[in-house]
Amino acid sequence: MSTDSVGIHTDSVPGVGPQPALSAELWQAFLAGDRRVCARLISKVENDPRSVPAIRERFAGRLGQAIRIGVTGPPGVGKSTLCSVIALGLAERQHRVGVIAVDPSSPFTGGAFMGDRVRMERFVGDDRIFMRSLASREGRGGLSPATPYVADVIEAFGMDRILIETVGVGQAELDVLNCADLVVLVLQPSTGDAIQSLKAGIMEAADLIVVNKSDLPGADTVLQSLRFVYSLGGAKARKAPPLLATSAQQTEGLDELVDTIERLATSLVESGRHRELRQARLVDEIRRGIQQELWERFLSQTEAESAIQKVAADLAESGGMAYDFVRAACSQVELRVREKRD
Amino acid sequence: MSEHPIKVVVGKPGLDGHDRGAKVVARALVEAGMEVVYLGLRQTPESIVAAALEEDADVIGLSVLSGAHMTHFTRVRALMEENGLGDRLLTGGGIIPTKDQETLSKLGVGKLFGPGDDPNAIVGYIHEWMATHPRGDV
Ligand SMILES: Nc1nc2c(ncn2[C@@H]2O[C@H](COP(=O)(O)OP(=O)(O)OP(=O)(O)O)[C@@H](O)[C@H]2O)c(=O)[nH]1
Ligand SMILES: [Mg+2]
Repeated sequence: MSTDSVGIHTDSVPGVGPQPALSAELWQAFLAGDRRVCARLISKVENDPRSVPAIRERFAGRLGQAIRIGVTGPPGVGKSTLCSVIALGLAERQHRVGVIAVDPSSPFTGGAFMGDRVRMERFVGDDRIFMRSLASREGRGGLSPATPYVADVIEAFGMDRILIETVGVGQAELDVLNCADLVVLVLQPSTGDAIQSLKAGIMEAADLIVVNKSDLPGADTVLQSLRFVYSLGGAKARKAPPLLATSAQQTEGLDELVDTIERLATSLVESGRHRELRQARLVDEIRRGIQQELWERFLSQTEAESAIQKVAADLAESGGMAYDFVRAACSQVELRVREKRD
Repeated sequence: MSEHPIKVVVGKPGLDGHDRGAKVVARALVEAGMEVVYLGLRQTPESIVAAALEEDADVIGLSVLSGAHMTHFTRVRALMEENGLGDRLLTGGGIIPTKDQETLSKLGVGKLFGPGDDPNAIVGYIHEWMATHPRGDV
């Protein structure tokens, strides 16, 4: 049996591609808090999507309790600086904290410059906190596609609060809404006029808005515009989230920031909303899983791909439509599923 | 493991000066398609290795212009071994006499580059090293 660098067996088994299993020693080391193993499991889910199911299967019973907190906002507003403050504050309040910071990959070279650790050096070597930088790779919505799975690894490792800092390109990005339980939107005084241009959806989704760099002129104006925007209410009909002003530089408003996040986290759990969110994500996961599985079963039939190519060539010639072929292909998969069951 | 971009942690140990050199190298690595975790100034060998461990970095790159290269490279290399990162590359730059390079090389430190070298020389070296050093088992 072949084993790769994290000791995950990679022999392919008949059926749906290779199904790697985690070795027992490695799993024990992970459970015992070996940070190196945690780091390598993260690389595994990041680099090899096919390994994800087998790894996550091990996490049964270990997921679903942690609160995932997205920290988003335009570039340079202080997301990393505040993540550092929040992580330390939560650790002081007896939490074990994961931090995931996502930075953009260059679409041209695939490279990424990840500078968030510069603002997070205060907790290097702190056992209560595990920090990981991720390049966004193919992700276009502010996160890397593997982000939720990386968060799973970190939660299974024992962290009960997980901060996810999104890419700061353009406006606040929206992927984070799908994988965070709470969303913190960070702005700064010069964002004033830019509030209108924030991506639709993020203002509605934010559970907390922080105007950082309140030591700079203009913070009050931003707070006022925010209050104004929310007072319009309208179709969004959502209660305005708490608005806070902070200055990481002058250490102002930071305790209040951490307290507010803790309060939001507690009420999320007590109201049952956390469970609802988890359930909704499971619905998505099941749907996507079925799609994926059926697709793979279809493709695993001999010559499935060449049949698609051939039918497409015929249709292009004849001007016909693809529905008949799609229906026929689906019932074939269905038949095979039945055969397997009987 | 499937192909993935090479991950490099770049840091500057010690209390001295600016990080222009480290940033130039970091940029060159990014341009070459690598994922670079930049740690910035005033790092300790401990903080650099702790970060590399969490990041699961393939390579650690140090910039040492203060003249304290012997201390820093030796210490980082020792910490890498201690933390199970002995199979990863330690490289970097500074003003490092050949004699010192040879000593460091015997300790397992990779090739080191000077301020006059083209930043792409280190890119080439990392690619070459990665191609000839598959990762060992845990
Ligand atoms: N004046 C002032 N500067 C701050 C404050 N908080 C952070 N900064 C500075 O703002 C700059 C950007 O901070 P980061 O924390 O890196 O911002 P970020 O949003 O994570 O940036 P990206 O990840 O690049 O989008 C740094 O130079 C910080 O020192 C603050 O409260 N006041
Ligand atoms: Mg940042």
